[in-house]
Amino acid sequence: MELMIIHSIDKFNVLEQQGWTEKDVLFQMTCDRTTDGQFLDTYLALTRHELLIATSLKEPDQEKTYKGYALPVRNATRPVLQEEGQWSVRTLKIEEIESVFIVNLVASGMLVMKAPEENIIAAFTNGLMSQATKLTAIFGKLKGQEEIDSELLEDVGANASCPKCGRIYPEEGREICPKCMKKSALFVRLLSFAKPYKAAVLLVIVLMLLNSATGLVIPYLTGAALFDQALKGEGYFAGQIGLVILLVIVFRTLSLLFGVWFGIINAKMAANIVFDLKSSIFSAMQRLSLNFFQRKQTGQLMTRVNNDSAELQMFFIDGLSYFIVNAMNIIGITVILLLLDWKLTLLCFLPLPIVILLVRKVFPKLWRLSWRRHRRVSAMNSIISDSIKGVRVVKAFGMEHKENERFQRANINFSGSEQHYDRLSGTIFPVLNVLTQMGGMLIWAFGGWMVMGGQISFGLVLTFVNYMYMLYGPVQFMNNIVGWWSHCMTASQRIFEIQDATPDVKEKEDAIRIPVLKGEIEVKHVVFGYEPNKAILKDVTLHVKAGQMLGVVGHSGAGKSTLVNLISRLYDVNEGAITIDGVNVKDLAAESLRSNIGIVSQDVYVFSGSIAENIAYANPDCSVMDIIHAAKIANAHDFIEKLPDGYDTLVGTGGYNLSGGEKQRLSIARAILHNPQILILDEATASLDTETELQIQEALDKLIKGRTTIAIAHRLSTLRNADYLVVMDQGKVVEEGTHESLMSTEGAYYKLVKKHDEALKMSEVIPA
Amino acid sequence: MISTTSEKETVASQAAEAVQEGTAGSLSDAADIYYLTKDNAEFSKTAGSMLSVTVGDQTHPVVYVHCSFPHTNKRMYLSVRTVENKEIGMIRSLEDFSEEIAQLLEEQLQIRYFTPEIKRVIAVKEEFGYSYWETETTAGLCRFTVRNGGGNAKLVTPNRLLVTDVDGNRFVIPDMNRLTDKEYRMVEICM
Repeated sequence: MELMIIHSIDKFNVLEQQGWTEKDVLFQMTCDRTTDGQFLDTYLALTRHELLIATSLKEPDQEKTYKGYALPVRNATRPVLQEEGQWSVRTLKIEEIESVFIVNLVASGMLVMKAPEENIIAAFTNGLMSQATKLTAIFGKLKGQEEIDSELLEDVGANASCPKCGRIYPEEGREICPKCMKKSALFVRLLSFAKPYKAAVLLVIVLMLLNSATGLVIPYLTGAALFDQALKGEGYFAGQIGLVILLVIVFRTLSLLFGVWFGIINAKMAANIVFDLKSSIFSAMQRLSLNFFQRKQTGQLMTRVNNDSAELQMFFIDGLSYFIVNAMNIIGITVILLLLDWKLTLLCFLPLPIVILLVRKVFPKLWRLSWRRHRRVSAMNSIISDSIKGVRVVKAFGMEHKENERFQRANINFSGSEQHYDRLSGTIFPVLNVLTQMGGMLIWAFGGWMVMGGQISFGLVLTFVNYMYMLYGPVQFMNNIVGWWSHCMTASQRIFEIQDATPDVKEKEDAIRIPVLKGEIEVKHVVFGYEPNKAILKDVTLHVKAGQMLGVVGHSGAGKSTLVNLISRLYDVNEGAITIDGVNVKDLAAESLRSNIGIVSQDVYVFSGSIAENIAYANPDCSVMDIIHAAKIANAHDFIEKLPDGYDTLVGTGGYNLSGGEKQRLSIARAILHNPQILILDEATASLDTETELQIQEALDKLIKGRTTIAIAHRLSTLRNADYLVVMDQGKVVEEGTHESLMSTEGAYYKLVKKHDEALKMSEVIPA
Repeated sequence: MISTTSEKETVASQAAEAVQEGTAGSLSDAADIYYLTKDNAEFSKTAGSMLSVTVGDQTHPVVYVHCSFPHTNKRMYLSVRTVENKEIGMIRSLEDFSEEIAQLLEEQLQIRYFTPEIKRVIAVKEEFGYSYWETETTAGLCRFTVRNGGGNAKLVTPNRLLVTDVDGNRFVIPDMNRLTDKEYRMVEICM
């Protein structure tokens, strides 16, 4: 190991000065933090034979912009041209290093090498975790002199960026570019859902216009026409009070009719559009990989889908059309007012700027207060539900007074914020009201004065006031539209996100279709983790011959279920390969894979519907006889016959409650009908009592016949028929062989069996 | 008769005391936690900047220090563990050790719990389901992105706010009461 100090402008020059070229470098990364809580770069580069570690000797950076920060960085203190810094450079031969690994810290990580003592290489913030994982993986391959997959060397994922503007996405694995997903673009996209309803939209707009137009005539009739012409006996309507009143009634009725008609069509159209939206989201969801649903933030995303589409329904019903109506009204009324008398018009607009200013100033504060109130209500509610759900514990420990105190605190908090909110809203709304009416007052005052001076007529003033009151509603609507608009757009963004998400597990275009597989499974050197640097499976290799039964044993958390997820390709492996009949599962058509693999797992899902429908789930076209036979084989027939509604019994949400064992038997019947070549039993009997387990076991034995079976269990009794056994521990296969050979080696399996036997003896001594 | 009753009472009360002592003692007996003190453990820093500890005649070349109460008290009940998460022992309080050792252990905490403390909130801007934070922290000016909702900014004690960014990096506002009104308003929207 040599240590030297290099002067260089940036880390890449360090390479040059070492006589390395960029071509030699297999992988490079820059760790960004020191171990004493500062930000400072450590540059790492890996070639086939050497590892270079260059630590900056500068003062720690006083500024750090984390990945994902999409706003332009203002007031940057760092000079654009970096001054020459010093780097402490170490190069190590790969032979000198035993291993390189990551130590997971809280929200960050640390690279450590063993050479031969453990040495801290550098620490890094969480965003660099996947890169660091790659570095250790490549190092491991180099050390073991294995071939490095080109996939491993590719620099993907870590810096996924928007194809349109090149900006790095704020969040890894969530391809949303805040810049390109502009609200206007979303709006256009949202409008495209209305396309199939062009005719209806057109009709709605025409009706709205008619509704507005007929409504606008009325103030003129009740004001100028009635007072200045009919009553005064001048002009077109001289003396014809009856006609004016009749016209008012006619126009009012017309306006009402147009309004009702427009409402009906609009509601129908909006419901249709939202229906389309919902079904497109739902089908988009079905297409996605399991990973998408299990990611934490998407769980939230799902529950919001319903709320979001409701929000968009509002957009189409209340928003869009009323926006047009109100805009028309504002323009129309202003034009009429200006035509009638521009001086009075200006007068009635006088309080408007104050109103707008006030709304702009106070409403954000009001919104904030209401958010605070909402938060405190939730806090209070969670305490209530806590103590109700946990009432047994509360009573058992005699902690009622403590719960009271806890509630009291939350209650005080809530009441404080409620008062705050009420005080402000109680002040602002009356003030706004007064201001609005002030416009009317002004017109009455000035208009009255002008009437007395003979400049204008009384009817005109009345018309004016009526128009003005018609104006304030639309203006207020426009004022609220800003908040409402961004609400709607965020809702639509979430919905489009689901639509646009690409499944992680993709079927290849030229995927191989094999209708009936033989069922020979090979798992070769598989490495897999749900998160970077948290490998659940480490170099797992297995082989199951067609028609054989493989038992997988191990403690919980050993990676048994993960193995199943990979074989059925709910996830893709990180390294290594899984083949069925010699074909990589990645190359197999999803349809061939699914129709050949059946899973019976410990958590059985029963869909809403009848028992018959549930059994026929995988094969809805099967005959009634098949269903009954499958149920009989699964030992479910007898309990079903005992039910008053038999196979027609409704189960699932709101239906008949099946016991765990009954559900399990339904799922076995389901698997029997599915008739897969490969059967996976994932702790199928784990949650059942011994008695029920025996019955299920009997059913399973019938199911297993003639299929390749992988049975996972921590109860060894389930595995008594296994041809071959594999013992897993912490993601690795630690032992394999037949029951006899494993028992004779007296290793991990032997210990498990002994423990199991002891546990059984215990349960015999202590009657349940 | 009278004497027997009083005898009985004495016996009973003695038994009760014994039980009480028994429970207090048996809890720690049952937990069987090995406490490291300056007398039984020797900490040192290795050449590779790692922490090693010698307990009795056994040396653990690399250990890590975990806080039991990282938010409420970082200096008490520290757990010394190997990378395989096996506990070597617990430290009741850093005060039990010499200043030098306490500092060494604190360095280890600094490595494990890298969480810049926010001293000043410059701006929090919300856009499209993300909020963009610009803050002055103990580690310098930090700009980071927080996904809205989902408990990414949550109070871990009544006054201490833990903020987690999109990559899982952590930041903390040690005392919400020390924020100015303006800062509080900006932060509150994200809670």
